[in-house]
Parts: sequence; structure tokens; C-alpha cells
Amino acid sequence: MKRYFAVLLGILTAIGGFVDIGDLVTNAQVGARFGTSLVWVVLVGVVGICVFAEMSGRIAAVSHRATFDLVRERLGPRMGLLNLVGSMLVTLLTFIAEIGGVALALQLVGSVHHLLVVPFVAAAVWIVLWRAKFSAIENVLGLLGLALIAFAVALWQLGPDWGELAAGLSPAEKPAAEGWATYAFFAVALFGAAMTPYEVFFFSSGGVEERWTSKDIGVMRANVFIGFPLGGLLSVAIAACAATVFLPEGIAVETLGQVGLPVAVGLGKIGLAVVVLGFFAATFGAACETGLSTGYSLAQYFGFPWGKYVRPREAAGFHLILLIATVIAAGVLLTGVDPIMVTEVSVVFSAIALPLTYFPILVVANDPDYLGEHVNGPVANAIGVVYLVVITVAALAAIPLMVVTSMGQG
Amino acid sequence: MSRTGRPAPLAAAAGFRGTVLTVALVGVVGVLAPGCGIVSRPDAAAWDQQAQRSLTDAASQVSTARLALETAAERRTWPAYATVVVAKAEEAAGTAEEDLARLQAPPQRADAAATVLDLLDEAVSLVAEARAHAVEGRYDDSALLDDLDRIAGELEQAAP
Repeated sequence: MKRYFAVLLGILTAIGGFVDIGDLVTNAQVGARFGTSLVWVVLVGVVGICVFAEMSGRIAAVSHRATFDLVRERLGPRMGLLNLVGSMLVTLLTFIAEIGGVALALQLVGSVHHLLVVPFVAAAVWIVLWRAKFSAIENVLGLLGLALIAFAVALWQLGPDWGELAAGLSPAEKPAAEGWATYAFFAVALFGAAMTPYEVFFFSSGGVEERWTSKDIGVMRANVFIGFPLGGLLSVAIAACAATVFLPEGIAVETLGQVGLPVAVGLGKIGLAVVVLGFFAATFGAACETGLSTGYSLAQYFGFPWGKYVRPREAAGFHLILLIATVIAAGVLLTGVDPIMVTEVSVVFSAIALPLTYFPILVVANDPDYLGEHVNGPVANAIGVVYLVVITVAALAAIPLMVVTSMGQG
Repeated sequence: MSRTGRPAPLAAAAGFRGTVLTVALVGVVGVLAPGCGIVSRPDAAAWDQQAQRSLTDAASQVSTARLALETAAERRTWPAYATVVVAKAEEAAGTAEEDLARLQAPPQRADAAATVLDLLDEAVSLVAEARAHAVEGRYDDSALLDDLDRIAGELEQAAP
């Protein structure tokens, strides 16, 4: 019974923890401008994150060591450093966006300007990272994130023409007013949002923190292969809500308040309150995950003690990194930069950093010295290689598309 | 040996590389420098593109303000939520207008520029009025909602 409960809890937190500020904003933007014609990218991204999260989880369960720890050892300090710098910068950017997202969610409740809220949010995130138990962070915020299911309920209540939504799934149904370059830019952004590098760092480091063994591989796979796709459905629901309410009105999404409006239209005040709670949980949870991922990656690369299960005094360097990262994030936001713009940039740069994150995981997952009999099978390798090609194309296309379309403005 | 102490062929190669780099640098600066002016030359195509972007953005913000007021009037949002959404729409509509106003209109677009800027100005004023209504909790002013509807239509029509 206890085991079933653990599986269920893991799946629920995986669903609730799947969506972050990047998914919220990008899916709503895409739905408002392109209808459902980019939903296929979410599906491709979800399959990709499942494949690589499973590999990184398996690595953690069998070797009891996390990604960066092994990347440096297996591929050498130079490749490790390149991987560290690229991935960590993107994770830090995402951390800034998530803290900004929490402030924006709170602004919707009390109309206090988000800049006034940022220092308190940053302090709260740091206190949680310092004091709260790992399982509490993961479970409480993951379960609260399930509030975003209100998007799916709102979609049902909005009563869209389901046939039209389904017909719009084809890329050929892209609105005529939008160019193919803009379409490709948002495809790359959506892909970057779905496959954000921090997700695998957090997942594998969390596995080491929770002392997974080979016996936990089954539970881990259930979390990944059931939880992540269901989390991906939330992304699709956000896009479909935006497509139903905003596309006919010619409204482009630029604020978090707009993201929640379709739920207000469909479900009213209570539904909107549930979704705003979901905004808070999703962004606060992702802020904790990205903050921890920054600490994990640096500490694992330089080889000093890390983790929430190690006493803060023993993992002083790890906790100092968390503190510095939090101060940097708050400092950047206090310059007045728009958190939504930071989010838009972070998802594009996520796409650029994808090969640096996922190539080493594929290499380590094939190494019998670390994984023994649990090395990748032919199916995992075939899918992994195909995804490496897709990831590389997305990474190479990201900056040219960003320049040509002026960040998707067309 | 050359005076640099390198063998002559190596020095010649280094000299050639230096020349190529200098020419490339001058070329890059030559291409980029005209774009670095504080005020760009009037260009009809660039102006048209920015006008379309500003009109589309403003229409989007007007429609957002209208939707926010409507949902608030039906008690589907709470006051703070409606205020924040409309205030952000006002900010973004203002930015759309400024982005176009900053660009010097080419002579052949002088009349169009005056019309479009007037339209954008009216849109910004109406969204500001919507924000004032949201702050005061007056969500059901049908005249304002009609005006927002009208201006959104005019903005969409004006976008080439």
C-alpha cells in the first residue's frame, strides 16, 4: 500500500511540477497567436524530456551519483566546464524568471507592484531552500501545482468547437497572418520550455538526495512516463484556452494576468483563484528547483558536499551558492527588467543549451562502468540519438530565428 | 629571420592574416555604422512595418482591457486582478504608441503617420480611461465598452 502511495504521490507531483513560468507564458502566447497548430511541439518536447529524465534518473539510481559529477569524470574537465557554464547560465536565467513569476502571481492578488514583492519572494525562496525538507518542497509545491488542472476544466466549460480545435492541430492550419519564421521561432521556444535543462539536473540530483537504488527504477519510470505526459497535457490545455478566447479577439499574450483570463471567462472567480494558486505553486516550486539546480551543478562539478540531506554546516559552499544565486536573481529583477521578457529569453536560451545538457547524459547512460546491466537499450539509444539531432537543429536555429523575427514579433 | 624574430614565411602569413582581419573589421564597421545613428533615416518599409506592429499591439491591448472590464463586470475576477490586467494593457499600449512616434516618418508617409498616431493616441486614452474605471470599480460603463470595441476595430482595419 505504501509503495502504491509513493507511486501515486510521485506521479501527482510530477504532473503538478511539470509546468513553470516558461510553460505558462509560452503556451499561452502560442495558443493566442497560432491556435493549436504548435501542439505537436509540446508532444515532441514531452517525449524528449521523458527519454532523458528516465536516463538521468536511471544513472542516479544505479550509480548513486548525479549528472555533473559523472560528466566531469567521464568527459573530462573541459567538456564538463562547457556543460557547466552553458547549463548553469540558463538555469540561473530561469531562476530569475521564476522568482519574477512568483512576484507577478502575488501582484494579481493584491495589485502591489511586483518590484515591491521581489525582495520578499527572494527571501522566502532562500529560507525554504535553506530550512525546508527536500520532500516537503517537492511534495507540497508539486501537489499545489495540480491547481493548474483548472485550465483543462475551464477549456471544457468554454465549450470550444472541438472539431475546429482538432483540425487546427495540423501545422498547415497556422494563421495566414503569421510567417513561417515566426512559427519556427515559437516552435523552438516551446521546445526549449518543455525540455528545460534544470528539469533533468533536479530530477537526477533529487534521486541521489532521496537515495534511489536500482529497486526504485520502476517507480521512477512510472513518475516519468505517466506524470510528465499528464503535465504536458496541462501545457496543451493552457494553449487551447488561449486559442479559444484570445485568437478570435486578436489578443497577444504579454502578461501573466492575461494567461489567467480564459479561466475567469470559463469558470469565474473561484476557478481563477485556483489558477492563481497554481501560478504561485508552479513558479515557487520551479524557483526552488532552479535554485537547487544551480547549487547542485556547481557543487557537483567542483566536488564539494551538496544537498538538502547534508547539514548546512557541512555543505556550506552549496548553501552559499544558493544565497548568492538568490541575491543575483533579486538584484536583476530589481533593475526593473520585465520578468516576462526574462522568461521569453530564458526559454530560447534553454533551447540553445540543450545539446550541452543532453549529449553527456546519453554518453554516460551508455557506459557500463557506471550503469552495468542498466545501460541504454537499443530503443532508448535510437530515440536518444534522434532527439540529439532535433535538439542540435533547435539549438542552431534559435539565435538566427530570434534575430530574424525580433523575438517572435514577426 | 624577420625583425619580429619569426621565420620570414610565418611573419608574412601573420602579416596577411592581419591585413585580412583589418579589412574584415573595416567592412563590418562600415556595414554596421549607419545603423548606429541616434535618429535613423526615414524609410517607408521600416515605418510601415513598425506602424503595423504598433497598431496590432494596440488593438490587442484595447481588446484585453475590454475583456478584463467585461469579466470584472460579470464578477468573474476580483478588483485587484482586473486593475492589474488593465494597467498592464495601458502600459503596453503606451509603449506601442511611443515605438512608432519615435520613428521619423518618411515624407511619403506624413499623412498616414498623422492618422495612425492620432488613432494610437485615442486608443491609449481609452485604455487609460478603462484603467481609471477599473480602479474605481466601475466595470459596466457601456459607452466605454462600445468605444473600446470601436477603436479595436479601427486599429485592426488601419493595420496594413
